[in-house]
Amino acid sequence: MSKFRSIVAAVCAVVLMAAPAFAQVSVDPNLPDYTPVSGVVGNIKSVGSDTMNNMMTLWAEGFKTMYPNVQVEIEGKGSSTAPPSLISATSNFGPMSRATKSKEDDAFEKRFGYKPTQLPTSIDMLAVYVNKDNPIEGLSFPQVDAIFSKSRKLGMASSIDKWGQAGLTGAWANAPISLYGRNSASGTYGYFKKHALGKGDYRDSVKEQPGSSAVVQGVASDKYGIGYSGIGYKTADVKAIALSKEEGGKLIPATPEYAYTGDYPLSRFLWLTVNYKPGSQLEPLRKEFIKYIFSKQGQMDVVKDGYYPITAQIAKKALASVNIHD
Amino acid sequence: MSTTLKEPQNTPALPREIIRGSMSARKKARGNRGGRSLLAKGEPMLWLTGGGLVVAVVMIIALLTLVIIQGAVTFWPKPVVQFTLKDNTIYMGEVTRDDTYKPEPGVLNSLPADVQADIAANEGWAHRELVRTGNFDLTNTHFHWVEDFNSQGQTLPKWATVIERNSWGRFYGMPKSFLIDGKVVADTPQAAWAEYIKYHDEVRERWHERRGLEKHDIGRESRKVDHARLEMKSALLEHGKDSAEYREAQANYDAIEAQVNVAYARIREEINALNAENDRYQLVMETAQGQEKQLGLAEIVRAYPANQLGLGGKISLYLSRWWEFLSDEPREANSEGGVFPAIFGTVAMTLIMSVLVVPFGVLASLYLREYAKAGPMISAVRIAINNLAGVPSIVFGVFGLGFFCYVVGGTIDEVFFKASLPNPTFGTGGLLWAALTLALLTLPVVIVSTEEALAAVPGSMREGSYGCGASKWQTIRRIVLPRAMPGVMTGAILAMARGAGEVAPLMLVGAVKLAPELPIDGVYPFLHAQRSFMHLGFHVYDLGFQSQNAEAAKPMVFTTTLLLICIVAFLNLFAIWLRARLRRKFVSSQF
Repeated sequence: MSKFRSIVAAVCAVVLMAAPAFAQVSVDPNLPDYTPVSGVVGNIKSVGSDTMNNMMTLWAEGFKTMYPNVQVEIEGKGSSTAPPSLISATSNFGPMSRATKSKEDDAFEKRFGYKPTQLPTSIDMLAVYVNKDNPIEGLSFPQVDAIFSKSRKLGMASSIDKWGQAGLTGAWANAPISLYGRNSASGTYGYFKKHALGKGDYRDSVKEQPGSSAVVQGVASDKYGIGYSGIGYKTADVKAIALSKEEGGKLIPATPEYAYTGDYPLSRFLWLTVNYKPGSQLEPLRKEFIKYIFSKQGQMDVVKDGYYPITAQIAKKALASVNIHD
Repeated sequence: MSTTLKEPQNTPALPREIIRGSMSARKKARGNRGGRSLLAKGEPMLWLTGGGLVVAVVMIIALLTLVIIQGAVTFWPKPVVQFTLKDNTIYMGEVTRDDTYKPEPGVLNSLPADVQADIAANEGWAHRELVRTGNFDLTNTHFHWVEDFNSQGQTLPKWATVIERNSWGRFYGMPKSFLIDGKVVADTPQAAWAEYIKYHDEVRERWHERRGLEKHDIGRESRKVDHARLEMKSALLEHGKDSAEYREAQANYDAIEAQVNVAYARIREEINALNAENDRYQLVMETAQGQEKQLGLAEIVRAYPANQLGLGGKISLYLSRWWEFLSDEPREANSEGGVFPAIFGTVAMTLIMSVLVVPFGVLASLYLREYAKAGPMISAVRIAINNLAGVPSIVFGVFGLGFFCYVVGGTIDEVFFKASLPNPTFGTGGLLWAALTLALLTLPVVIVSTEEALAAVPGSMREGSYGCGASKWQTIRRIVLPRAMPGVMTGAILAMARGAGEVAPLMLVGAVKLAPELPIDGVYPFLHAQRSFMHLGFHVYDLGFQSQNAEAAKPMVFTTTLLLICIVAFLNLFAIWLRARLRRKFVSSQF
């Protein structure tokens, strides 16, 4: 979060782009256009985040239209699978929905002598979803914590088991809350735990789902359900509720403008982790793929997948971190 | 399990006769022996066993009906409906499903009194429809719920057109005008549509030509460079930086790169010319909300004015969608387009697995049954094999990943593909490893059924053969194996059926979300056993649980399931046909 905020704060003025209505998310016009070069061949093997699975696929599809002979293989079983595959060199890209942990950095450093490099590729809002018929407006973090966690690190006195305790009335007051979440290999699981539950433990009654879309579908078919997932997976059957950091604080809806200002408490970068030896040059395949991601076309794919594109400035910084300057 | 599939002549023909056993006879018997208990007469057991069968059959039929109905309607074109809401918002799209529900009190109270009364009269139930409105690039959503009490009414606009695009999902709107070179050549829906019909085929043809250029011609050139680059790297690894070999490889690489760059430029020029020609034709559409959108004709896969289609038009559209589904590559993160790579991967993997598992299984069971002396060792082996059949499939997946991919594959990479490291060649999931893992998984099935078939060959036949002076192997080869062949084939069929439907271990050893590169193609060495592949079973899982546009992917889940069932059934039928052929051959040659 702090990393996210610091980068976002530096560029938020540019980001707001003076766009009055955000009904349509637009791509920063200052991003470079991608132009294909010659000599790009090989295998793109991506192992990592499920949240970014579709986005990786879209990028790969876009990239393949320019380099038809690049082979693409994408696996998305959770962010925690990304560093081990990079270390064992079974993949060359590791999409992750969270920053690497120091343990993962250390394991990587032990093998290669330097830390993995993470590039912020796009912005996601981790949304808390309820069924479309649920009248609830929003929840504060302590409330979310009391719903999802058994440790209640954010200080609620008692746990919230019924919708009535979260402020609903009528038939909802006595309805039990049914919880949906991700499995523990997922970066979303870790991120939500760290930021919304104060690192507390999940309750045992959380139904752990194998994918982001499965969480949304679970909530869609369960009237009293609540779950968390990336904003890109929103469907017409669920509602993303507004969140506030403190009890009684201002509720911030899950809309793009608040993602860019960093006000929405669960906005985060989606990272691409690569094995980059500091000071060296990436080989053509990885270099061009990364350039593609940070181009107008690549960021258009981000919009296509329902996430929010980064700005030209973030892109420039990310590219510079792997020694791409043109 | 194998007993159920045994050939009819082996099973006693009695039961059917008994069941038929003419009701009248039994009625007579009942009258005569009125004093016996109900159970002794056997009727309750008849009902119980018959009932068990009925439940099983009903469940199978229900499952198949669900899959077939849901899967078959996916591609049927629906009308495009325009809803006008009370606040004058307009939604236009296809109604995908509807729902009767009880609105929340908060929602109810905000409604006008007459609507509230209507809903109250309906015992609090209201109706709503889920409309696929598409136009994701303009609205950022694919679907909207429209409540009946919120809607002023619905119409079927005559020129409402559905457009399936290469990207961004579907587009719903009205044709407004048609541009060639930026000049308006038609400005009514009818005229624009006529122009679209006139030009679309040739534009798409050019688009396919372009894709062919990208795929084959550019591919050929890039492979040349790649090959030279790997040679250069091998030379570097083998001979060091200052060697003559490395310098030579480097010079060769530079020469080839220069050559290829020229070729690239030429192909790019061709592609650009095709693109430029295609970009001349633009269809301008107007959404129901009045927004205008210009669509390049090359981007349009298929378009149709949904509300003007007759039955013939609908059928041809339906078939064309099926054809695309079966023969094309997936688009849009697998939620659109076809599943051809997945069909291909499923069939290729299953066949390779069968080729691997059947010989091994037959050899192992021949030793167990014909050569080995019965004893505690053999019993232990047999028990182990039987237990292997009960091990959860994911365990095999873990073993395959740990042993085949990392140990065997990793070693192969170290030895033969050093130049392309750290990118793995064999040291990761792939077709070969998946087939081997599934071969292990299905090995017990083959061994057990082959053993049973071998045991069923009468000992007198073997003795007769020995009596004529034949050796052990000659006896096995000429007498035992032909008699046991149908049983072996039964084992192979069961193994194939199990292997084709297995998904869990494949997720670990090579089935991936997207791998449009087929594992068998026209590029040397033709069979690329190291490549990851797509699998229909995994595709179902991916569509159901991973898809971003979950609502649109749901019907595709059923369609893909239907296809998977058909393919497994087809593979089984093929094997059964093969078995019947073999049996005829051996029976006729025996006497």
